[in-house]
Amino acid sequence: MHIMEGFLPWQWCIVWWLIALPCLMLGVWHLKKVMEKDREALPLLGVTGGFIFILSSLKLPSVTGSCSHPTGTGLSAICFGPWVTSVICAIVLLFQSLFLAHGGLSVLGANIVSMGIVGPLVGYAIYRMLKDTRVNIYLTVFLATALADMFTYITTSLELALAYPAEVGGFGTSFVMFMAIFAVTQVPLAIVEGIVLALVFKYIVALKPDILIRMKIFSEAQINKARGEA
Amino acid sequence: MAKNYLLEILAVVAILAFCGLFLFTSSTMEGAEFAGSDNVGSGLIAELSGKSIDSFVPLIPQYEPPSGEIESCLFALQSALGGIFVGGVFGFWLGQKKSLTETKVN
Repeated sequence: MHIMEGFLPWQWCIVWWLIALPCLMLGVWHLKKVMEKDREALPLLGVTGGFIFILSSLKLPSVTGSCSHPTGTGLSAICFGPWVTSVICAIVLLFQSLFLAHGGLSVLGANIVSMGIVGPLVGYAIYRMLKDTRVNIYLTVFLATALADMFTYITTSLELALAYPAEVGGFGTSFVMFMAIFAVTQVPLAIVEGIVLALVFKYIVALKPDILIRMKIFSEAQINKARGEA
Repeated sequence: MAKNYLLEILAVVAILAFCGLFLFTSSTMEGAEFAGSDNVGSGLIAELSGKSIDSFVPLIPQYEPPSGEIESCLFALQSALGGIFVGGVFGFWLGQKKSLTETKVN
């Protein structure tokens, strides 16, 4: 999902930076609030953030004959909301821009918008929609994380299509072409990521149910039910 | 029993299916190079804009890992860092839970 340094016109770099910056500031503010409110939440932040570090470094082969990496942002979005997640993503993406030439400083804004903002926002929205329904909590986690992953790549396609509309067919044609590269490659990865993160969530539920209940991530009844059945 | 481990079983099946899919694609697909989709995307950008791929130079100069080895070293470092956090916290929680049940027993 990294747009490479130099591959986005500077005007678009500024646009995406302007969108990313206020979200990051909101994230830092939220992060401060989380830390002041409950020190016990910090280990949970470590786990969800740790998975962003791990999963975003794994480049996996896919059906299209190219490689791509999962994002791992969904879990953090569920537990801490999309804004805190964008801060963690910004750290990962900054590391990759500075040392790995994956992305770059000018395109960092665009990459933060796709991986750190739109993806987590979608994941969080799905979690909020399903949270108080009868849907199994692990299914909720699966859907939220898998779709957060997918929408990151759809956003990258959108960002590139906006910057490079095709000569024939304009934005729409380019969007389809970029989707064919980024989104199609991502489908199997997103499914595996969703299942793995649902499994991780099961272990969090098993080890530290009280923090999930206290942070109102899921209700006590839902957590107890999940502990009983899985 | 099986129901208790449904998620574990699903995860193993998904990962195996993923590996199977990879073996299938890599052996049947012509010209599958398994390059990064980032690079494939950059290729399409060059095509759409009608400029050669070499004409895209970084707007802000950046460090590039001199070889694939160094790149993979840095990526491994990144995921090791994440692994330390995850493993550390899970161990911490496990210990916390254990000491909690032990105090209850005593």
